[in-house]
Amino acid sequence: MMENKKDDKLMKLPRLGRWLSWVDKPGSSNKIFIGLILICFVLLCFDLIYPKHGYVEIENIRGFYSLYGFIMFAGLIFLATLLRILIKRKSDFYSPKDINSEKYPNDDIDPVNHHD
Amino acid sequence: MIELIPTSFIFFLMAGILALFPHGVIRGALLLITPLLAVFHIWYIGFGNFWPYEFFGFDLELMRVDRLSRIFVLVFCLASFLGNMFAWHVRDTTQQVAALLYAGSAIGAALSGDMISLFFYWEATALASVFLIWARETEGAYHTGLRYLIVQIGSGVILIAGVCVFYQETGEVSFNKMTLESLGTWLIFISFGIKCAFPLMHNWLQDSYPAATVTGAVILSAFTTKMAIYALARGFAGTEILIYIGTIMTLFPIFFAEIENDMRRVLSYSLNNQLGFMVVAIGIGSELALNGMAGHAFAHILYKALLFMSVGAVLYRTGTAKASELGGLYRTMPLTAIFCLIGAASISAFPLLSGFVTKSLTLSSVAVEHRTIIWLALVFASAGVLSHSGIKIPFFTFFAHDSGKRPAEAPKHMLLAMGITSALCILIGIFPATFYQILPYETDYVPYTFDHVFSQLQLLLFALLAFAILYRYGFHPAEIDATNLDTDIVYRKWVPSLLGMLVLTCKKVYLGLIAVLFKFLEDILRKLNETHGPKSLRVIGYPSGAMVVNITVLFAIALIVIFVS
Repeated sequence: MMENKKDDKLMKLPRLGRWLSWVDKPGSSNKIFIGLILICFVLLCFDLIYPKHGYVEIENIRGFYSLYGFIMFAGLIFLATLLRILIKRKSDFYSPKDINSEKYPNDDIDPVNHHD
Repeated sequence: MIELIPTSFIFFLMAGILALFPHGVIRGALLLITPLLAVFHIWYIGFGNFWPYEFFGFDLELMRVDRLSRIFVLVFCLASFLGNMFAWHVRDTTQQVAALLYAGSAIGAALSGDMISLFFYWEATALASVFLIWARETEGAYHTGLRYLIVQIGSGVILIAGVCVFYQETGEVSFNKMTLESLGTWLIFISFGIKCAFPLMHNWLQDSYPAATVTGAVILSAFTTKMAIYALARGFAGTEILIYIGTIMTLFPIFFAEIENDMRRVLSYSLNNQLGFMVVAIGIGSELALNGMAGHAFAHILYKALLFMSVGAVLYRTGTAKASELGGLYRTMPLTAIFCLIGAASISAFPLLSGFVTKSLTLSSVAVEHRTIIWLALVFASAGVLSHSGIKIPFFTFFAHDSGKRPAEAPKHMLLAMGITSALCILIGIFPATFYQILPYETDYVPYTFDHVFSQLQLLLFALLAFAILYRYGFHPAEIDATNLDTDIVYRKWVPSLLGMLVLTCKKVYLGLIAVLFKFLEDILRKLNETHGPKSLRVIGYPSGAMVVNITVLFAIALIVIFVS
């Protein structure tokens, strides 16, 4: 119903949408990625020099928040991936007493296309 | 004049009046005016106890207004106002009435000065809210609603059982601080825990909220669980066990949220995780912690509603909330995308947004007490929040791969509701001191210290970097349309299967026993037949003529004996 990818050029996107579409331009994701690395690098460098006043001792270790954030986030993703192996079932596993494999009823929604 | 009716009754009264008016502007206006009237009512009535009431010999108190109850009533009113604005287009009387009754009941519970009125409001929230699920009108929603209702009503039944035992133990029904030392208080605690979605009692939340209507989920997200948080804070502040329960609550949902496909279920797991922070704060029980709990509940209701609204708007326009079917919607729904990003950044506690100035109160209260392991767990859980609510929700809905869907922007009333909620998230983040004035205890806490802002930025940006690397190199779990098992499999599959097996086994055992019994009787009959039947040796050996002779002889002997004697 809304497969209109090819019509994007013909279709007038909202101004904000056009402005945001910078993220999909070739090279933009690289720029964002490199920008993020640079910001993180600056934060980490600064963390090594400024005086810390944490309540918890471990907070005062240099680079603690950076490493903890990075490692724990990555660990979370890997563990969640492993968890999926254990708990993943078909979407109609509880069907028909569950909404997971049901189509949302049309009475309650208004699926309008942008160019309509 | 203002003391004529309790605040909750404003909602009940309006719910009755609402049905008299035709669908359209007047009803919409009534739905918006009601919570505003309630805000006016609660603000100007002042602190104190109102509406004492005698009920079967019990002294009840329908309104206890203090700083703790007032902040919850205020945010419930705000949530009701924003939810009703988001639902401006809804023409279903059931949903409109249910929304008002539900908000009124939650407000009534927050104001109850005794546990009997608390029980009535507690059950009323269950009864009113289930209609927001059933309003979807599908078979799945019907069954989900039933499951939800059983759990919610069950919580109420446990509550009243606890209150009865507690009354027998103490002779009191007033709702004040309790200690976990008797059966009564444990039952009350468990009842609160069910609605608060404690670990292993949590699955009703992730099961039911995604089954609600587009607007119903927004309204559901605000009340039941926060009412339970309030009840825990009122009854069990400073209870050590809550610290550990809360910590587990912050941790386990983040793994499930990470691999969940239905965005509204991701938000439900996220809601569970946020409740964990509040439960930890209640367990700590200090003034700083309770301020953290109340502030976090207030901010959380807003940004969670905002996230449910943005996903709801997408569902409203595309007919799906599944990550595997979404992506790239920012092109035609840019405002919804931006509001979603504000909600996502708020819940992730980015500086200048509401999550930062409220969650830091809780984290500081834990740090001040030097509970290092709990603190480390909560910081990890904060990174987890960024993962599913901060990144997954906006990224896989509005960005990531292009789903090819080009839905129109959300309707104006939805945008307005999302816009106001976003503005509140930002205002609380920018002016924390003003916001802190409505917290339960006076505080001069300063969230914007250099240490604090800098450490939070490090945590969030490095976590973001980890995501960027994992996503870029294909290690991030793909969005797959699947059902992920959780503890609800126990009562949705295992227990019914077990009961089925038990019934079958009982049937087999019964039939087996009957068969053995019949065989036994049959054997006895056959044996008797063999020994005493017409063809048995005994009968053949003793013909009937012999018996006549025997009896004749017997009679003759008897006659002789009688004659002689």
